[in-house]
Amino acid sequence: MKASRIEIFKEALKTGVVTKKYPFEPIEVPEGFRGKPSIDTEKCIGCGACASVCPPNALSIEVDAKKGVKRIMLFLGRCIFCGRCQDVCPTEAIKLSKEFELSSLNSKDLYQVVELKMARCKICGRYYATVRQILFTARNVPKDQRPLLLLCDECKSKVSAKYISYARW
Amino acid sequence: MSLKLFRRSLWVYHLNSGGCNGCDIEVINIFTPYHDVERLGIKLVASPRHADVIVFTGPITRETLPKAIRAFFAVPEPKAVVAVGSCACGGGIWYDSYAVIGGVEAFYRILEKYYEIKPPPTVYVPGCPPKPEAIIYGIAVLRGVLKQKQRKTYFIEKEAPTLTRDFIVNLEKYSKQDKRG
Repeated sequence: MKASRIEIFKEALKTGVVTKKYPFEPIEVPEGFRGKPSIDTEKCIGCGACASVCPPNALSIEVDAKKGVKRIMLFLGRCIFCGRCQDVCPTEAIKLSKEFELSSLNSKDLYQVVELKMARCKICGRYYATVRQILFTARNVPKDQRPLLLLCDECKSKVSAKYISYARW
Repeated sequence: MSLKLFRRSLWVYHLNSGGCNGCDIEVINIFTPYHDVERLGIKLVASPRHADVIVFTGPITRETLPKAIRAFFAVPEPKAVVAVGSCACGGGIWYDSYAVIGGVEAFYRILEKYYEIKPPPTVYVPGCPPKPEAIIYGIAVLRGVLKQKQRKTYFIEKEAPTLTRDFIVNLEKYSKQDKRG
């Protein structure tokens, strides 16, 4: 059956206008939409799990040995919004919001940097982990083993090797 | 700044510079009846010589670099660039690949080095792929209709507790006094 033009016009009137008035009116984002990731600066412990799991290395970690700080840098210009960082974060510090209006005229505006202080090893004196990370680990470790957290990896293995050799003698 | 450049309708030339077609589908999507940007005067043209704005989708591979340069030169002055997608913004997941130049910024570095051309006004639209609304928002930012929301944030931790043996062993006792721990 061939529809006449008037019938098509009636059908079009029934449907109405479908065009969204987006730039002048806000729109609703669907459920489960993965938007801009942002780091909660109070919760982040600087463990680097997100950086190790990020496929395009949008999250990267930089250790400044002179200042004794660790920087977690998020560059949205490389982020593919996969949400792996959100899954892996132990403190739920990084989360994907529903925000999608990220356009900027300068690519430097796409950065988010979190700078955390690091702790010195009690034996060799070099920086090895952030203070927040040590405190987070200490809460999940029995009391008698906590002093070992104040040492860097190398000193820790030396000290624990000493204990083992004492036990053998 | 960009508002002075274009007082009338923007004509857009869409160039796939080695992308995966995800962003291309989203760019075509904004011309469909749902998002219809022709109501705003934005029109897709077939030749870069007719265009005001060139849209890059893709990380600019080694294969597309000469074509991208030719298309870029064919766009008459004044021109602007829209980098759609994470690939065009900073290289995306191929940012360190041997076959990829690495986004629009690296493309501008090549133009400055070999042709001594300064980069035109550029808007970066991150997303993989960006929503069609995000592209419309990007063009609105370029025209100066809407304000840019995204800003760089730099957090510096000011105070951190000094770690002593006593503090870390009796952590629960101390954290009762100071709730932040």
